[in-house]
Amino acid sequence: MAKRITIDPISRIEGHLRVDVEVENGSVSNAWSSCTMWRGIENILKGRDPREAWLFTQRFCGVCTTVHAMASVRSVEDALKLEIPLNAQYIRNLILINHGLHDHIVHFYHLSALDFVDIMKIPAADPTKTSALAESLSNWTGNSKKEFLAAQDKVKAVAASGQLGIFTNGYWGHPAMKLSPEVNLLAFSHYIQALEYQRKSVQAVAILGSKSPHIQNLTVGGVSNAINLDSLATLNMDRLVMIKKLMDEVKPFVEQVYLPDVCAIAGMYADWFNYGAGVTNYMASPDLPTDSKNTQFDLVGGYIMDGNLSSVHRFDGFRDKVFVDGVTEDVKHAWYKGEEPLHPWKGETDPEYTDWQAEGKYSWVKAPRFQGRPMQVGPLAQVLVGYASGDPLTRKWTDKALDLISTVAGRRIGVAQLQSTMGRHVARAIRAAMLAELGEKHWQLLVDNIAKGDVAIHNNPEFPSGEIEGVGVHEAPRGLLSHWSVIKGGKLTNYQAVVPSTWNSSPRDAKGQHGPYEASLLHNPIADPVRPLEAIRTIHSFDPCMACACHTFDPEGNAVATVKVL
Amino acid sequence: MKTIRICGVGSVLLGDDAVGPYTARTIAAKYEFGEGVEVEDLGTPGLDLIAYMSGIDVLILIDSVENREPAGTVTVYDKAEITRQRPAVRLDPHSPCITESIFIAELAGDGPEDVYLIGVTGEQLEVGAPLSDSVRKAIPLAIEKALQRVLLHGGSYKEREVHADAEIWWEAGQLSVGA
Repeated sequence: MAKRITIDPISRIEGHLRVDVEVENGSVSNAWSSCTMWRGIENILKGRDPREAWLFTQRFCGVCTTVHAMASVRSVEDALKLEIPLNAQYIRNLILINHGLHDHIVHFYHLSALDFVDIMKIPAADPTKTSALAESLSNWTGNSKKEFLAAQDKVKAVAASGQLGIFTNGYWGHPAMKLSPEVNLLAFSHYIQALEYQRKSVQAVAILGSKSPHIQNLTVGGVSNAINLDSLATLNMDRLVMIKKLMDEVKPFVEQVYLPDVCAIAGMYADWFNYGAGVTNYMASPDLPTDSKNTQFDLVGGYIMDGNLSSVHRFDGFRDKVFVDGVTEDVKHAWYKGEEPLHPWKGETDPEYTDWQAEGKYSWVKAPRFQGRPMQVGPLAQVLVGYASGDPLTRKWTDKALDLISTVAGRRIGVAQLQSTMGRHVARAIRAAMLAELGEKHWQLLVDNIAKGDVAIHNNPEFPSGEIEGVGVHEAPRGLLSHWSVIKGGKLTNYQAVVPSTWNSSPRDAKGQHGPYEASLLHNPIADPVRPLEAIRTIHSFDPCMACACHTFDPEGNAVATVKVL
Repeated sequence: MKTIRICGVGSVLLGDDAVGPYTARTIAAKYEFGEGVEVEDLGTPGLDLIAYMSGIDVLILIDSVENREPAGTVTVYDKAEITRQRPAVRLDPHSPCITESIFIAELAGDGPEDVYLIGVTGEQLEVGAPLSDSVRKAIPLAIEKALQRVLLHGGSYKEREVHADAEIWWEAGQLSVGA
């Protein structure tokens, strides 16, 4: 008989993500993904000035701040058909790149590596062997025996203190943990180093955006960074050089540490290329525009259906007709009123809460669909669309990663196998390597453009009296983000944000099709129902970001994810 | 000289959860500080809080709390009290992460020596709602507690002759935006 497991992180505001799986003979036979907090934030934008919407959307989520700001201004600019000065495009692109690098580094090391790395095996590691292993993988200068001894001492000190702190609730000693003590030590040492490098990317965003985590420099029509290479108060040469220096430090970390670490761990856990494919329809938006009219892009967008990598449909811009016409949101299994799937411009957000019903409504997340199909978004979608399109940069880093993984695994892992739990981690690291390289390019584009004497940063928006509709598309770290606005007489009359985690964590739709999280959990092994590490691996591989807009602290709380086995 | 950072945390879109950002912005508008003291509205940074606590000596967080006290109660927690909360095995990695952020920053060896959480007990978390009166009335006390900690650790401040605008833009009816 199937055994039902509920994994529900109980934080004080009952927020966030809940996953239910049924396990039969050590494998997941059914799954439900629910968001347990209401996201009705769009409603507060109605009636507001479209030029200020980005300030509010930037507060949707405290981790994905810049991305909601970017999608919001693009949405209004699209409605107005406003061109964006080149300097503004490049500055925005540099923010996107640095934010993405920060986000991917933190996701791998601090939010998901410990799903594969067993901290409690580290005291048994031989630092000399660890150093030799690390040197076989990369030229990174931070791989000395001394570095590894220091990291090992930290773990020993934590273990000896009896206060496990951050490690209290790890699944240590779980049968699915397979790395040698040396590899565990290697990964943990880089976990510590990663803290320093992710901060450098945050600093770069703060310089470009005048502040972080909430950037201040966007406007509908461009940016507000006055440019004068010799003035102290503006984006000047000193600041540009500081940004370059920070990016020059992060790039080698990505190329010599993050990517090789992911590839090594992937090669050692090669069985995880067999699980977690789930929904194999992929969609990504183009991004990093290189012209003022948004017709040329450095990141490729498009979609792939049914895992068929030999057939890719490209999107030629932010407002590709096929994309715009194809998106609907279904609320059959979500706690909202409504019958037929609605296009986001016609979208409604009227709550209708029932309790959690396996066959009925069970989530606050709507089910977005493209041409009626569930779609997976995120770095994997972006990499597969880029690879299938023959994009040279995507191919270069993907081939490099696959070669290293195959060497470690001792067998060939091909691009098709990236359609898996492990593939999502690998794709994120590939995307980071691409972003680090594109960062150099876009910095140079900005500096060269300024050197030509162009200091334009903004085109003034003018609102017509009639109704206009816009879509703001952005390929965020977690995937395709779209903000849909309807504006009349200079006021917002509707606003819908279709966020990456909505695509991925969506519940079933009226046709009963699972969302990507749900589908990816099917057939996952579960060795121990009380410690469902394997399910957590698959969910974490998507980098979920749910309703992080709400945040209070409970000093007496046990913010422990509960696992209920029924 | 110690580096001290006062950070308001919470979502400005969710009723009383805005009390952290509201208070931090009010402090920055009313007071100027000596060297080494910074005031920030961090929103809901999740684990990104680490980036803002690395390399500083004293972190003073202002946040809404649920602690079974009447709404508007101000309670100060120190580092030991904050870290008593056990971190979660989480599905959604971006949930409230104050405890985890402290642990991880300490592991890296550059976490703040002292951390305070100035907690204001909230009443409601309604989307788009302004602060409840009970919470709004608690702000002067929360500010006083924060300033006391600044002095305790050798920082200095003085009230501005002319208060700046605290820019509580999310409560304003209409903003002036644009280039």
